[in-house]
Amino acid sequence: MSDQPNFWQTLLSVLSSFFGVQSERNRERDFRHGRPIHYILTGLLMATLFVLGVILLVRWALSLAGI
Amino acid sequence: MVRTIITTIGSGLGLTLYSTATLADWTVNLTPGVTDVSRSVFDLHMTIFWICVAIALVVFGVMFWSIFHHRKSRGAQAHHFHENTLVEVIWTLIPIVILVAMAIPATATLVDMYDTDEAELDIQITGYQWKWRYDYLDHDLTFFSNLSTPREQISNEADKQEHYLLEVDRHLVLPVDTRIRFLLTSNDVIHSWWVPALAVKKDAIPGFINDAWTVINEPGIYRGQCAELCGKDHGFMPVVVEAVSRAEFQQWLADARAAEQAEAAAAERVWTLDELMQQGEQVYLRACAACHLPNGEGVPGAFPALKGSAITLGDVGAHIDIVLNGKSGTAMQAFRDQLSATELAAVITYERNAWGNSLGEAVSPAQIARLLQPATGEAEQ
Ligand code: HEC
Ligand SMILES: [Cu+2]
Repeated sequence: MSDQPNFWQTLLSVLSSFFGVQSERNRERDFRHGRPIHYILTGLLMATLFVLGVILLVRWALSLAGI
Repeated sequence: MVRTIITTIGSGLGLTLYSTATLADWTVNLTPGVTDVSRSVFDLHMTIFWICVAIALVVFGVMFWSIFHHRKSRGAQAHHFHENTLVEVIWTLIPIVILVAMAIPATATLVDMYDTDEAELDIQITGYQWKWRYDYLDHDLTFFSNLSTPREQISNEADKQEHYLLEVDRHLVLPVDTRIRFLLTSNDVIHSWWVPALAVKKDAIPGFINDAWTVINEPGIYRGQCAELCGKDHGFMPVVVEAVSRAEFQQWLADARAAEQAEAAAAERVWTLDELMQQGEQVYLRACAACHLPNGEGVPGAFPALKGSAITLGDVGAHIDIVLNGKSGTAMQAFRDQLSATELAAVITYERNAWGNSLGEAVSPAQIARLLQPATGEAEQ
């Protein structure tokens, strides 16, 4: 059980997948010891944050332009 | 061998650089246009173009150097490794940085383009199959702008002139140094109003109103086209903008309105059959021949023949009705707003007496003018 990736490692793997680059070492660890549901939930959470981030970015750009 | 290739390429490049002066004559690039927005669009385009050139030089430079330097005849040995996370992260980060750097000025320009507030002049632009209608909203002036290239040039019976397919009977006349808002919509299918020199390209969609704006800096004539495939004559509905000084614009407005009134007065006088036939032929070739063909024989299965048709030879009321009101659900449009009373009377008279149709009777402009009156009144209420 102690082999299972902790929250931060899971998060890092999800962010790596967003970025598109993952090291072979982490990939092997995830597939050997991880549970899919953890990655799926973290992925959904991160996707939501990403969309919120884009919305905020657009708002900020528009407020800079005075609209 | 390699040397000859290198010298050839080298002298080719040299020649190209030497002749940059002649590049100005090329028409392959975007136009810098005549508005501040078109200028910034052009500058963005060039900046991004040079960034692409720099990237290409670096990437292909490294690639060609590597290929050449590690060629087999020098005994180069391939490295066997599966991945290198650091390199992959770097080559993903660099494009992200470049894209964000390009997105910042691009966003600023886009925000500017979409901000249509505080216009001094509103023009409604309506797409029709296949012409544009312009409404000067605060000046009570409306007209259609039709292709004016002669048919003989289109069918290769005459030489094509300089502005082939980019010329119209009535220009969209606009004042310079004035903030103008365009409100775009369509009467039938989706069109797109595009004038490169103004950097305006906007879809005209039935049931929607899109907006765009411009301030033209220099007087002149700027040509454009419909940019959304809209049927058979999509390539035959050009846009011609004529930018004039503010004083000239006021004069033009006054003249155009006076001409409209004269036109209305003309409908009241008595027209002879010959006069109507003459004008009718012109109107027919301009407004109807695209579908019903110059010889009135139509296109079987798509546009009915008017020569010998039951309607053009039958009851005049039914004939007038279909020309004024069109037939909904078909390509036959309502021409009541597109043509004046005189033009409508002339073209109907023409159809009843041309190509071997010979009823000998004229439809009078005054008769049509009376038919137009009540409906126009209702539409305005
Ligand atoms: C965009 C193509 C188009 C244009 C332009 C056009 N028409 Fe038509 N017209 C049609 C079609 C399609 C019909 C058949 C409608 C139907 O299904 O009944 C038609 C039908 C007619 C008819 C009835 C003919 C018959 O026997 O049923 C008359 C008359 C007519 N048009 C006159 C005109 C006149 C006059 C003009 C120019 C002012 C004109 N049309 C321009 C497409 C066009
Ligand atoms: Cu069109």
